[in-house]
Amino acid sequence: MNFKKYFNQQNTFILIGLVIALVIPQAFKSSQYVMLLITTVLLYAILASAWNIIGGMAGQLDLAAAAYLGLGAFTTGTLLIQWNITPWVGMFLGGLIAMGLAILIGFPLFGFKVKELWYAISSSALVVVLQSLFMMWNEVGGPTEKYLPSGSSPWYSLRFNTYVPYYYIMVTILVVVILINRWIRYSKLGYSLLALGEDEDAVEVLGVNSQLSKLKALAIYAFICGVVGGLYACIYGYVHPAFFDTSMSMEITILGIVGGMGFIYGPAMAAIVMVSFREFLRASLGSQLAGLYLAVYAIILIVVALFQPRGIAPLFERGLKKIQTYFAELKRGHKADA
Amino acid sequence: MIHTVSQGIITGILMGAIYALIALGLSIVFGIMNVTNFAHGDFVMLSMYLSYAVGSALAWDAVATPLITAPLLFIFGFITYYLLIDRTLRQMYVVQLAVTVGLQILLRSLALIVWQAQPRALQYSIIQGNIQIAGFEILTSRLISAIISLIFIAGLAYFLNKTWAGRAMRAASDDLDAASLMGVNYHKTYALTFAIGSSITALAGGLLMSFQQTDPVGGVRFGLLSWAVLALAGLGSLPGLIVAGIIVGVVESLTVSFFDPRSRLLGVYAIFILVLWLRPRGLFGRR
Repeated sequence: MNFKKYFNQQNTFILIGLVIALVIPQAFKSSQYVMLLITTVLLYAILASAWNIIGGMAGQLDLAAAAYLGLGAFTTGTLLIQWNITPWVGMFLGGLIAMGLAILIGFPLFGFKVKELWYAISSSALVVVLQSLFMMWNEVGGPTEKYLPSGSSPWYSLRFNTYVPYYYIMVTILVVVILINRWIRYSKLGYSLLALGEDEDAVEVLGVNSQLSKLKALAIYAFICGVVGGLYACIYGYVHPAFFDTSMSMEITILGIVGGMGFIYGPAMAAIVMVSFREFLRASLGSQLAGLYLAVYAIILIVVALFQPRGIAPLFERGLKKIQTYFAELKRGHKADA
Repeated sequence: MIHTVSQGIITGILMGAIYALIALGLSIVFGIMNVTNFAHGDFVMLSMYLSYAVGSALAWDAVATPLITAPLLFIFGFITYYLLIDRTLRQMYVVQLAVTVGLQILLRSLALIVWQAQPRALQYSIIQGNIQIAGFEILTSRLISAIISLIFIAGLAYFLNKTWAGRAMRAASDDLDAASLMGVNYHKTYALTFAIGSSITALAGGLLMSFQQTDPVGGVRFGLLSWAVLALAGLGSLPGLIVAGIIVGVVESLTVSFFDPRSRLLGVYAIFILVLWLRPRGLFGRR
């Protein structure tokens, strides 16, 4: 094995990030509230990174993250409540169901080359439609919360008294999603998707099946959202049609855009920065006026989108380059001294 | 049975005229400026709240409130255009999406701050009550609202076809460069278009408040409805917009009377998806 090959700057950053991630629960173990906040931030980071596959790479402005999340949550919750099937299976099935629905809707829309605007609107409508469907479907959803039972073994029913285990699961999923992002970005699929964004007809002429490529991206994205949705249901301990939340879907999309479309780490970074900030605002302003924190947050999102249209990831990259050149010059300076 | 269907259709037609009015605001902004305003439904929500505020402060009737709210929304649209939309015109499409979706979250949270979460409704309207025609019950408020909507749509058609400003708008939509060479200042034209599009929602909001209540998340429904009407109608045909509005209204009304009031958007969504699959340029669209 050639380990040196893997020892590059990018991997060093991942390693540092992982070490920090492992230490965080030790620091905040005493406060369950903080742990829940951190877990929520990670949830948004995962969803925004998953969105990057369909939005950033395939260029389809999907607004249905909460639809797939909710489907995963309801699948997991219903399986556990009615048949006592472990969420580990439920999460996987939830991902598959979300994927199935996504393909069902994506197949005709991509096939008929519907303009991206109409895809965005039909996907945002999907969230509302699923919410009203689950409101009516009393066996599974309905207007009251359906609580998940805490079974005999916490690892079987995924119901813990503390948020620490959820945190670790979330970190693991985030790492996997970022690895998937990286893998897609440098695979044939990634190159075809990026090329599709430039000129769809030209790419078709070169023999790329654009419909299939977009469908693959959509399926992967929906699957991740569904799996995370299962975990979401376990964290909150209930399922409710309010999980089909249009605001949440919109927020995921904005985080993906603000993070930097197509940058592998951008959306996760944007989610970590912006959602932490939002929760900070909620904690400091929320007690005075309901909604004030969201107003401030929305203004900041708009300002970032207007003045940093390529997202914040390029900013970070530029900052990194500066540090690199600084160290390189420092090294050269030392040599000159010697 | 036949009676229920006819009753549903009548209710749907009356609602459809108002939906056409709401979609008209979106249609001129999207058709002329090619700007996708995801916050359009929330403009309607904001209008309804303003109408509530004016109506309850001055003890005015809901139908009269657009006299004050329409100029307010006109100014609001003007400011929004120069502050946000104008800056997104020369950027990537996603920036426009992010900005208008951000605006949507902003409007929603502002409504939450000012009017809290509980639904608001105006007490009574002079046009309340109902008329019986051939055994069918027709709500007077809806009938009058529908008539006002149709008159207004006709008036806007006249404006777009006969006045200089209206012709400038249509010219800018056909060929921006040529229009600029002919002395059309597109910033001004676009600002006017966006402001008119916003003030139309004020009229619709006032009419809706005469028989409905409003809440901070109500904008989603009107957003979906107006996009569905627009998809069905296609761009560039005002009569088509009315027909599409009526189709959407009738479908919604029939879903409510035959299935479940909570499923009202399902039928609309189904038509929306079907139109996108089968006829992407709409039933009456010219492109």
